[in-house]
Formats: sequence, structure tokens, C-alpha cells
Amino acid sequence: MRSAYVLFVAGRVAGSLRELIWTHLLTAGIMAMTLSVFGGFLIIQANVGRLVKGWSEEVQVFAYLKDGVDAAAAEAMRARVASYPEVRAVSYVSKEGAWDAFKQSLGSQSGILEGLKTDTLPASLDVELRSAYRSRDAVMSLARRLTALDGVQDVEYPETWLEKVRLLMAGIEWLKWALGGFLFLVAFLIVGSTIKLAIVARQDEIEIMQLVGAADGLIKAPFVIEGMIQGLAGAALALGLLRASFSLLTAELVAPFGSLVAVEEFVFLDAPRCVLLVAMGWLLGTAGSMLSVKRFLA
Amino acid sequence: MIQLHKVSRVYPPDYTGVKEITFQVEDGEFLFLCGPSGAGKTTLLRLLFRAEQPTEGQIVVSGRNITRLKGQALAAFRRSLGLVFQDFKLIPRISALENVALAADVTGVSWREGRRKAFRLLAELGLKDKYAVLPPALSGGEQQRVAIARALVNDPELVLADEPTGNLDPELAEETMRLFARIHRQGTTVLVATHDHRFLRSFDGRVLMMRQGRLAGIHDTVRAASAP
Repeated sequence: MRSAYVLFVAGRVAGSLRELIWTHLLTAGIMAMTLSVFGGFLIIQANVGRLVKGWSEEVQVFAYLKDGVDAAAAEAMRARVASYPEVRAVSYVSKEGAWDAFKQSLGSQSGILEGLKTDTLPASLDVELRSAYRSRDAVMSLARRLTALDGVQDVEYPETWLEKVRLLMAGIEWLKWALGGFLFLVAFLIVGSTIKLAIVARQDEIEIMQLVGAADGLIKAPFVIEGMIQGLAGAALALGLLRASFSLLTAELVAPFGSLVAVEEFVFLDAPRCVLLVAMGWLLGTAGSMLSVKRFLA
Repeated sequence: MIQLHKVSRVYPPDYTGVKEITFQVEDGEFLFLCGPSGAGKTTLLRLLFRAEQPTEGQIVVSGRNITRLKGQALAAFRRSLGLVFQDFKLIPRISALENVALAADVTGVSWREGRRKAFRLLAELGLKDKYAVLPPALSGGEQQRVAIARALVNDPELVLADEPTGNLDPELAEETMRLFARIHRQGTTVLVATHDHRFLRSFDGRVLMMRQGRLAGIHDTVRAASAP
């Protein structure tokens, strides 16, 4: 495109933005709110994902052994389980070891165990998993194989917890796209309406440009660029809004519970997610304006 | 050269704008399109700058059939014309200079060149001191001169004017017609649609008389002016 055309289009865009400044600002604001909701879900998703990842590193599967299994048989089982691909480490805990660990966990309250037999608790194989095998399905598969081993009485793993986490993640994902999608549609229509308004406000100018022989692209380009600018401005505003809200929330709400959750454990949007948000703003603004130009600038 | 062959324009359901118009305009001619309101002058001009398509017939301008032009070809054709309207068709939000330069800008000339040409034309038409003024602050005559400057900024070979004096008082109307005569003397083909017969006494050229959408006769200006 010749530089003269670039200057010409830039002049038209600047003129229209100046003329309908409040309408454009309002649209960029609505776009920012929409993208903020979507970005908020992205932040929640990223942080819940991190928390879950942290917790899942502590996921263990316990195979409780039958009473008759002696130390040698237990060791043979331990060696066998240790050879499974999903197992990072496995340790044998004898009845006495289990009793000591339980007693220790009670701390100063351990006195309540006085008088009880020290072989009350079953011996067990405590299995730690490799990170690639911490999904619900992988854990359940391992549990089934452990249950089938001769000498295993029962297998315990955090099935309910894993299921809840899976549901929570699916819920966040679903809400992100359902609510985000609805708001995107609203933003898309609002950008379209703003551009329609700009077209109507400049109807005389459009007619004159057509009469003096302006090419179609030269007439339409300023309106499409206006939509693009609205989208990008909305995305920039959304990022600012999200950053401010994130700082406020982590400082004011999370900090008082500092002993439970460390502020630095929460993360803002990473670079790819920021780019995604800006790209969505750009796409919404451009698509909304193009649709309007197509409909109202025949 | 402009050639019209049996050109008709019928609006649904059955209103006839112009019917079976055939005539030819040589390069460098000055032509008046005359007739009362509703005679079809504006429709004929709109067909010539392709704001409308004929329902029948062919229009050839400078050897090119413009009847079915569209898109880029139509825009390029319009850039080769100079158009002047009764209501001036100026953008009220931008200065006289920018209104004139707009027509140059769309051809892709540099920003500086467009303004230079626009300013030179405004100065030639006596608006040197008004170049920065917005159209609503100009008189009718001044606005029409700005519109004429815009029509001339790309050095067109053909200027089409639709009732260019319709909104002007007699003195300004006379002055505007003298301007068209001057443009014609520089070699430009000029077609002026008007219902005002006064000009036919003072300007040389041919006159196409129109009545009820049909061509009622072609005369020179002297004969047309003396006709009853």
C-alpha cells in the first residue's frame, strides 16, 4: 500500500476516533470487562492447576498386607511393585513401623494409645507415583493391579479427592468458555454497533468518497481498523484491570492467611496467556467491525 | 468522446427516468442539458457517472463501455471525472483545502502534492484566504467554488455538473457559469445540467433539450435561447 494511502487511512481513523471518542471508549470498556472475565478464569485455571499439581505430587497409594505375610514375602512384593513403570518409590512399613508413625503423628496426644496392642495396624507398601502417572485413571489402574497381588488385603488411594479435582477443573474450563463465549458474543455485537454508528455518522463522507473514485478498500479500511483498535484497547485495559485486581486480591485477601497459603504461590497470567487475551481482543474487534462494514457499507 | 445509444432507465414498477436517449459528445465540447424539473437531466448525469445503471442501452466514454462497470474499474472511472452538484457535497467537518485534497488523496498522490494542487486551485478560484475555513462558514458561492476546485484537482478530461447554480443567487450563478466556460476553454469537456435558460444567451455550446425523460432536441445555445 502506498504511503499516501496509509496516511489517508490513518487520518480517517484518527478523525473518527476523535469524533466518536466516548462511544469508542465505552466499547473498549465493555470489551475490557468481557476479556477480564475470560482472563479471570484463565488466572483461576492456572492457579488451581498449579495447586493440584503440587498436591498430586503427594498422592500415595497404600497397599495393606494380610496378617500372614512375613518380612521376606513383603520384601519380594516391594521389589515387584518397585519394577512397575508408574512407581517412583515404594517402601515397606511393618506393623510396628505403622504403629510408631501413627503414634508420632498424634504427638502429645499419643497417650490415648496406652494399653493398645502395637500390632493393631496392618503392614503396608507405601507407593509413590511418577509424575506422568498421577491422573485418576492411572492411579485406579495401579490400584487394581495391587489389589490382585497375593498377600494384599486392601488398597487405599484418594479416589474421591482425585474425582473432585477432575470435576473442579472441568467446571472451570466449561464456565470459562460458556460465560466467556456469551460475553464475547455481546462484545462482538457491541463493536459491530459502534462501527455501524461510525458508518452512519460518516454517511455523507462515504458517499463523497465513492463519487470522487475512492477504492472500496480505502473506504472500508478505516472502519475495520477502528474495530481493531477497540479490540486491542479493550485487551490492554483488561490486562491492566486484571493485574490491579490480582495484586489487590493477593495482598488483601490471601495475605492474612499467609501461614496456610503463600502469596508468592499465586501466579498472574504468563506471557502466552497474555498474548491469547490480546489476540482475542484483536479478533473480536476486527471480526465485529468487518461484519458491520459488510452489512452496512454495501 | 461520450456516446449514448438508446439509453433508458426505468424505476420499478414502471416510472421512466430517461427513455431511448441517443447522442454523442465530442472531446472538448461544452454541452448544456436543459429541461424542466423531472425532465430526466439528473438521471442522465447519474447514468454518465455511473451512480446508476441503464436498464437498456449502452454508454461509452473515451472508448470504454461504462454500462456495467463495478468495483475497482468503476472507482478508476470516477477518478477520471470531475463532478459538481447543486448541494456542493462538501464534508462539513474538514476544511476547504482538505475537501479539495480528498479527491487527490484517493488517487494515491503524496499528501504534500495533494495539498499543493488543492491550494493552487483554491487560489485560482479566489479562495486563497479561505483554504482553512470549514464549509459551513463559507457562502454558497464559495462552497460551490470549493466543489469545483475538487472536481478539477485531478485534471479531468470530463466535468459533469448537476444544477451547479441551483442554490446560488443570480450574480453568483453567472460567475459560476463563467468558471465552467473557463474550464472548457482549457480543453476540458463540460456537461452542465440546468433548468435555467438565462445562461444559453451568454455561453457558446450545444444544448440537449429534454422533456419527460426523452430527448426533445439538440441545438446550439443561440438557437435554443431564442426558442419559445
